[in-house]
Amino acid sequence: MSDSSSRRAFLKNGTMGTFAALSVGTPAAAALSKEQHDSPSAQASKKQADQHEVQDEYDGFSRYRPSRGHDPDSDYYIGKRVPGFRNPADGPAPFIANDLDKLPWKMKNGAKEFHLVCEPVAREFLPGHWMNVYGFNGSMPGPTIEVTQGDRIRIIVHNELPEETSIHWHGFELPVQYDGAHTMTQNPIKPGKTFKYEFDVHEEGTFFYHSHIAMQEAFGMVGWFIVHPQKVWDPPVDRDFGVIFQNFRIDPMQTVVNSWSMDWNWHTINGRSGPYATPLVCKHGERVRVRLLDFSPVQHHPIHMHGHTFWITGHEGARIPKSAWIPRNTELVGVAQAADFEFIANNPGDWMFHCHMVHHMMNHMVQHVGPRLREDAKVDHYLTSLDTRPRVKMHQDPQFGIPGYPQKMQGMTMTKPMMKKLWSRREVKGMRANAMMSMAGLMTSVRVLPDDLYQRVMETDEKVPKGSIFKEIVKRFGTIEDYEPAPPDVMQKMLNDD
Amino acid sequence: MSAFYFRKVLLPLVMLGGACVPQLLRAQDAFPLVPPAAEPRNVETSRDQVGRRFIPPSSFPKSPAGVEDLMKQETPQSLETDLTLDALLMMATENNPTLVQAQQQIQGTLGKALEAGLYPNPTFYYIAEQIFVDSETDTDTPGEFQGGAVQQEIVTANKREISRRKYQQRAKTAEWMAVAQQWRVCNDVRIHFWKTLGHRQIVDIRRELLKAAEDSALTTREQVNLGQATQAELHLSNVSLQRTRLSLLNAENMYRSQFAMLSSLVGVELEPQPLKGKLVADMESMIDFNQAVENLYSDSPEVLAATAKWQADCITLERERVEPVPNIFVKAASGYNHESREPVASVQIFMEVPIFDRNQGTIHQAEADLARQNAEIKRTKLRLRQDLALHYQKYLTALQHVIEFQSVILPEAKAAYANQLDAYKGDRQNWGDVLKTQREYYQLREQYVHHLITWRTNETLINGFLLHGGLKAAESPTPPGHIDSVAQPR
Repeated sequence: MSDSSSRRAFLKNGTMGTFAALSVGTPAAAALSKEQHDSPSAQASKKQADQHEVQDEYDGFSRYRPSRGHDPDSDYYIGKRVPGFRNPADGPAPFIANDLDKLPWKMKNGAKEFHLVCEPVAREFLPGHWMNVYGFNGSMPGPTIEVTQGDRIRIIVHNELPEETSIHWHGFELPVQYDGAHTMTQNPIKPGKTFKYEFDVHEEGTFFYHSHIAMQEAFGMVGWFIVHPQKVWDPPVDRDFGVIFQNFRIDPMQTVVNSWSMDWNWHTINGRSGPYATPLVCKHGERVRVRLLDFSPVQHHPIHMHGHTFWITGHEGARIPKSAWIPRNTELVGVAQAADFEFIANNPGDWMFHCHMVHHMMNHMVQHVGPRLREDAKVDHYLTSLDTRPRVKMHQDPQFGIPGYPQKMQGMTMTKPMMKKLWSRREVKGMRANAMMSMAGLMTSVRVLPDDLYQRVMETDEKVPKGSIFKEIVKRFGTIEDYEPAPPDVMQKMLNDD
Repeated sequence: MSAFYFRKVLLPLVMLGGACVPQLLRAQDAFPLVPPAAEPRNVETSRDQVGRRFIPPSSFPKSPAGVEDLMKQETPQSLETDLTLDALLMMATENNPTLVQAQQQIQGTLGKALEAGLYPNPTFYYIAEQIFVDSETDTDTPGEFQGGAVQQEIVTANKREISRRKYQQRAKTAEWMAVAQQWRVCNDVRIHFWKTLGHRQIVDIRRELLKAAEDSALTTREQVNLGQATQAELHLSNVSLQRTRLSLLNAENMYRSQFAMLSSLVGVELEPQPLKGKLVADMESMIDFNQAVENLYSDSPEVLAATAKWQADCITLERERVEPVPNIFVKAASGYNHESREPVASVQIFMEVPIFDRNQGTIHQAEADLARQNAEIKRTKLRLRQDLALHYQKYLTALQHVIEFQSVILPEAKAAYANQLDAYKGDRQNWGDVLKTQREYYQLREQYVHHLITWRTNETLINGFLLHGGLKAAESPTPPGHIDSVAQPR
């Protein structure tokens, strides 16, 4: 028996093998033997699940209100080990990468077999803004590969790109010939050709796969590779979100990525830009994990979450021992790094979650000068007759007496179809009417909703007026007397603004 | 040759140039100046080292006199004018003085032909000979002979008829020269019509370029306030603005100049006004170089005039060759002989004997003139071919440009500008880049107009036998030389 096969046997027969298989809800889980269920490790897991109890408050930390607890050395300080509602016996919480699909697999010859197709992709970064990138199976980022620690996997990569490629399985300790390092460990996959990667997964944690051709990486060729642990991490979480932050250089009036550039002006989260990036929605009191990967070509991202303090519980290398967890409001995630954030959603509301770099909080920046800023000037006047043009008024707004004016971006034009598309998503129901104006680039939101409001937003099709959920949260948890609804005409003005 | 262009002779040319200058000066006096810029807030500010404190943008430079009035002028939407090309050609036909001169060159030469063919007048003498001679019957007689005599030169060898034919042939030369002058005038009117039309369009385009320059200067100010441009760039934007203003004035000056030239060519003092016509013409078949050469060789008035002159030189040689044939002088007298006391008569017949002067020098000169003229015909053809090569190159290049500007360059530049505007409208483009594209489009339109002018100008020249210079004095068909210096032309 080879080393790899013995390791696989050990892992597959390990105490949490059953548990992990069940967690992904696959046919493989059903195929597990009764013996495995009855193994001592399974019995231990069952015991752990049976003992799972959830309290509202732990040592002064409340899962339902902003709080820190009594003692920084406490296991429950800032909700450090406060468990989620999810019973560990139910396995890990489903991994959710909004706006991305999961890659299906079939068990073949003792391995989970996946098929990845490398190909050019048109991705709608914003409603109506289709960008030409590279990806997998019609998606950029590619579909999520989700396995369980101990699985043997076979990934058949077919190259439909017009140029050669190879795929690197980032972070895996695998046999070197499958590492995907272009030319160093394998011959490149020629256009139209296929290459099979096959190895055992003994790791658990947050991984990803990507093309190992630099320019193709700049074109967005990446995807999640989540390995669920056989032994469910403690404390259990209720939500397990994944967000991939990326930058692209796409010049104004262009849709093709300029991978040669050293400057980057389009920003996406799971392939969409704010406000099109779908919010992360959870229930009040839940324990939430957010796995964040920075797959930008050259830029790091200081990720900031409003309204909560989170613990850094893992990086792409491994789960961090609890003794080394760090509480933060902002975590700097470097290029090709991943970080796992965990927190108890004890503060209801719509909370911004974004990169704090100024230029990453907007897209495709252009200088905000010209007729869009001038009194009585309209771009349409220029478009009316291209052979003649309006004469400018050779005076400036008196406010130009202040150096720096104007700093407010004029904002991009939102057409009605674009607005309709933005608001058509379930996850944004009931947000403030002008919420879409505030999110751009590497910006999304974490929505913490009480049970009933969560149900209205996520589980019913009832019409939810803009701002109604937010207002209700303010009413329940804030000071409604001080609340000012969004001006009703803001979005309409935005629609009409030329 | 059509007599139409020579039918009428009117007043000499009234030059327009002198009349235009005062108008321009008056117009400049009337131009309001841009209000002076506000003084800097703090005089010390200008002495600050760059980048140590914010220096508000300096004012826009004052507009040169005339610019603001030009910017207020509207491009005429409909040309309610009678100044069509045909009307201007008609005016030129009636008023261009060189056409009168050309006509008079013909008349003068015809006069020479008349004169050269006239028969010599007889000479009458009164003769009193041997006065006071003594006779047998008388002393101190009134003379031996008192009477009258008539002498007549009898021209031989058809000299008068040959001379007349010679000058009649020269009149034909003058006619071709007049045709050439007609082409010169018409071509020049056409060329300056295109140029005036074109430069009017260029004025309009330069106005748009000035608007773009104003926008660019304003945009730079906005950028300075946002830390996106420096004071140096601001100064340079002022430079660009002022240069664009000057270029508009230059275009306006050029337009006025072209109109004045046109007005001079038609011989009528006209105020600058829109012309009725199109600079763009339908694309007819392209002129073929070889065909154009053939046309020049066969139909060019200059070639035809040179050929006619060659024929005149042949006659000149013929004339000089018969010159040694002596004319016969007959002298007959009748009177009274006081000595013999009876009427008497006398007759003399004499002639020059061509022993020493057989006109051999003049014949040699005439032969040389004929040979020279023979070479002149060839030289004229070659010069025309040489000129054609130059103008055809200009014509062909301009036509190629016009076609490509019409079909590709302008539509593409316009599409780029529209594209940029659309993108800017959607917040997907910098305004500075839009302005660059806009300026590029307008500059290409100006280049297109220049190509149109070059095309139409050279097309006119090629179709008009390369003749231009509509105010050049009409040439004389009489060559210099002593043969024509005699009292009676021969």
